[in-house]
Amino acid sequence: MINNNLLHVTLNKSGQLTRRSLLQLAGTGFAGLAGAGILKTLGLNAAEMKRQGRACIMVFLSGAPSQMETWDPKPGNANGGPTKAIATKIAGVQFAEYWPKLAGLMNEMSVIRSIAGKEAAHERGRFHLRTGHRMGPTKFPHFGSVVANKLGDPDSDIPNFVSIGNTLSSGFLGVKVAPFIIDKAGQLPYNVTSSVDEKRRQRRLQALALQDQDFGSQGASQIAQEHIELYRRASELMTSSRLNAFTLNGESDKVKNSYGANAFGQSCLVARRLVENGVPFVEVQRGGWDMHQNLWQNMPKTAGEVDQGVSALISDLKERGLLEQTVVVVVGEFGRTPKINQRTPSVGRDHWARNFNGLIAGGGMKGGVCVGKTSADGMEIADRPVEVDDLFASMCRCLKIDQYEEMITPEGRPIRIVDNGSEIGELFS
Amino acid sequence: MRTLHCWRLTSFILVLSALWSGSCSLTQAAPPRRSPPAPKLPDLKSPEDKKLFLELIRNSFSAVKKSRTLSFDSEDLDRDLERNIAKETSTPFAPIADDETFIRRASLDATGTIPSRQQIKAFVNNNDPKKRAKLIDELLESDAYARKWARYWTSVVFYDSNANNNMVNRQALENYFFEEFKNGTSWDRIVGELISASPQRVKDKKPQDNGWNQNYGPNNFILACENKPEVIASNTARIFMGISIGCAECHDHPFDNWKREQFHELAAFFAPGRYYMTDQDDPSQKSIVDAKFLLGETPPTTLKPDQRRVAGAAYLIYNPDNYWFARAYVNRIWNELVGDGFYSVDSLGPDKEVTHVLTVNRLGATFRYSGFDTRWLLRVLMNSRTYQRSISTVEKPEDLFTGVRPSRLRPYEVSANLQRLTGDLGGAQKSIETTFDANPSVPQSDLEGSIQQALLLMNNTTINGKLAGSSLKKDLVKIKDDKALVIEAFLGVLARSPSPGELIRYQRFIKEGGNRDAAVDDLLWVLVNSAEFTTKR
Repeated sequence: MINNNLLHVTLNKSGQLTRRSLLQLAGTGFAGLAGAGILKTLGLNAAEMKRQGRACIMVFLSGAPSQMETWDPKPGNANGGPTKAIATKIAGVQFAEYWPKLAGLMNEMSVIRSIAGKEAAHERGRFHLRTGHRMGPTKFPHFGSVVANKLGDPDSDIPNFVSIGNTLSSGFLGVKVAPFIIDKAGQLPYNVTSSVDEKRRQRRLQALALQDQDFGSQGASQIAQEHIELYRRASELMTSSRLNAFTLNGESDKVKNSYGANAFGQSCLVARRLVENGVPFVEVQRGGWDMHQNLWQNMPKTAGEVDQGVSALISDLKERGLLEQTVVVVVGEFGRTPKINQRTPSVGRDHWARNFNGLIAGGGMKGGVCVGKTSADGMEIADRPVEVDDLFASMCRCLKIDQYEEMITPEGRPIRIVDNGSEIGELFS
Repeated sequence: MRTLHCWRLTSFILVLSALWSGSCSLTQAAPPRRSPPAPKLPDLKSPEDKKLFLELIRNSFSAVKKSRTLSFDSEDLDRDLERNIAKETSTPFAPIADDETFIRRASLDATGTIPSRQQIKAFVNNNDPKKRAKLIDELLESDAYARKWARYWTSVVFYDSNANNNMVNRQALENYFFEEFKNGTSWDRIVGELISASPQRVKDKKPQDNGWNQNYGPNNFILACENKPEVIASNTARIFMGISIGCAECHDHPFDNWKREQFHELAAFFAPGRYYMTDQDDPSQKSIVDAKFLLGETPPTTLKPDQRRVAGAAYLIYNPDNYWFARAYVNRIWNELVGDGFYSVDSLGPDKEVTHVLTVNRLGATFRYSGFDTRWLLRVLMNSRTYQRSISTVEKPEDLFTGVRPSRLRPYEVSANLQRLTGDLGGAQKSIETTFDANPSVPQSDLEGSIQQALLLMNNTTINGKLAGSSLKKDLVKIKDDKALVIEAFLGVLARSPSPGELIRYQRFIKEGGNRDAAVDDLLWVLVNSAEFTTKR
């Protein structure tokens, strides 16, 4: 009697059925079921889905990096420009010269050279590559919110989705799995430090609890109970030992330097610390890739930071035994025109969504794979087009999330985590 | 103007009948007939022409003529509801709220602000038996009334918008709403202007330099919809009719009666030229779809894009059979005031989901016959017992409206409420509004708070620093008597007097605090952090 919709609702990690979904269910003829019995079942299902220790770090290269100056160089072709290619750890696979460290780690990761994008505007590309869905009337959640929803511990004392730098919202999944945004890596988040001593803080909190209880007994039970719960959790966060994961306390200079003495490198280090402390999704980002001009002037520094930060991250995760269960994905919103433009004072490349590339590592994948191929001039995909959906389906497989599982929007519309496409088989052994 | 004038003399009736040809053939099941003679419409390119034209249609339909015979006042509303509710539940009605509660609630609902200590005291001490009705009238005449609802509607229009910031001007839309609400412009005229707008890209101007004419306020509904026919159609139905047909863009609606084709027929009103629908099975195939409104009204195919858009607005607003239009507005306002709608404000499926359908339909119809007078509606609702009851958290559908659901303040109301105490918070204001952001179209019972909200109010140094240096704080520390201090603190922060229990509790709290200055800070902290502070009760 219980239909699929109902089962999908049960997968709501918080174990709660909102009034809206109840009404929706009631509307589809399940009014009789919407009682305590069902809620109990829901709780049990949620319990089965406890944390699995899996995590995802998304490295977002905001601005859209050029595929030909990253991991799909075209030396010798006019479109390749002055960029030289270097060998990687895998025979036959070359990277652009700006990526020596990652080239040395190619056996630990895979490169996808044939992502067929659909969006060539920044806002839309960012949306697509962060949610796995194209922008439209539906408020799709950031993939990080989906992961927080599926893998995060709902009772965690620190957030299940942290983004270092501003990002998209949790969309229709709501505030419980919204990204916890910090501006700067390596320091405590804002507003987690009390301005009064502990004794006074406790005195205030005790009075507040009574105040909220009173309010709850005067007709505001739902709001007051939630408020009490939020303040309890906020207080837990303030005193959590895991809060330390946001800082760099205890990291040696050697480790800090290995990630690079810059904001991006330190973000990668904090990402590792957060994952180590059980946060299932972290986004870090490096902007500056929108190189319509001055591309070759800017590339060494921009790529250099990412090369160092990401390679240190992958090595460090590997060393700590975390890489197997942590998937690291490095993408931007799209690629750049193979033909070099004629801008002044110095040339660059413009927006290009037809084919671009990305890196993916860890998460139980075998590594060392080069997926897809572009033509000699880089103008089209010569072999094995990969859809953005396929990329997200692969991340789902790494995280042991069912890509076809349906999430229910507030309007009661079921939406699959990843709509179409399927995992990129070559990545897995 | 010129063209309209000529046209008005010639073929007004003809045009109207032409505009409504579809619905006529629907209702009469007439045999196929020749298409009506092509109406000689003016181009309707400028906003002024569009407004004038819609005004002519308005005047020719009895649907919005003021009526003396049809009335529905607060007493009718209460009698209707109380009778129906009593049939369904034995839960007693919540008592009428006291004066302190009423003035805070009414001020928030009418103006988005919280009364001062002096205003509360004066209102409570006023012996005029009609003081509540008088307060409502005063509040509705203030500029703050127009600002409150301008903000609300702007947030409704923009909440789900994917439009690039460079092509919209939120503030221009808010200011437009403000002027119209202030001047008492009726709802139909406002919506007519929003829906029929067709902002054009200005050549040789960057988008951010008014390149979409976004500085003209009423252009911003269409611009928030990115000028896309599908988005405009979906939001028109959602915001102005309260019905959710967005799903039908891709497939027949799973629960409702809306078919995919109907969605695209609605979208066709807003296309700059011919409208094409992609084939569901073979996306490489597209077919032409002609405009047809949801109730079956078809405009002549000869209409130009601007004229077609105006026709769409006319079908939405002035077809007397489209009761959704007036009812959606009534339901939204009701939802804001009472905390629950008669149905979820923007996602109504089949009509059977509407509770107390006769009451809301009557309210909707009378709102229409009031000439879509927005103040009229607020006045009727706010003077009712239903509105003036104490809060209760209703859990069972049959208990709806036995009390008023406590509601979370809107983000701009939270920041205003705080800044009323702290003074200008500078950059922290933006943090507050971002952190307390919530979808204005989601029912209150489904909204959730966040840990960040708690952290912000608990620990933010700007907020707490300014609170500790606020004029309220300075007033409080001057009061020698602890009891009087607690009373003033409650009035100042929560806009009510403390209960006897609270009086005792906080007198002790002050004493135990040792340092009196710090104890007052502690008291203010507790009250500002309380759930009540950010709630309309």
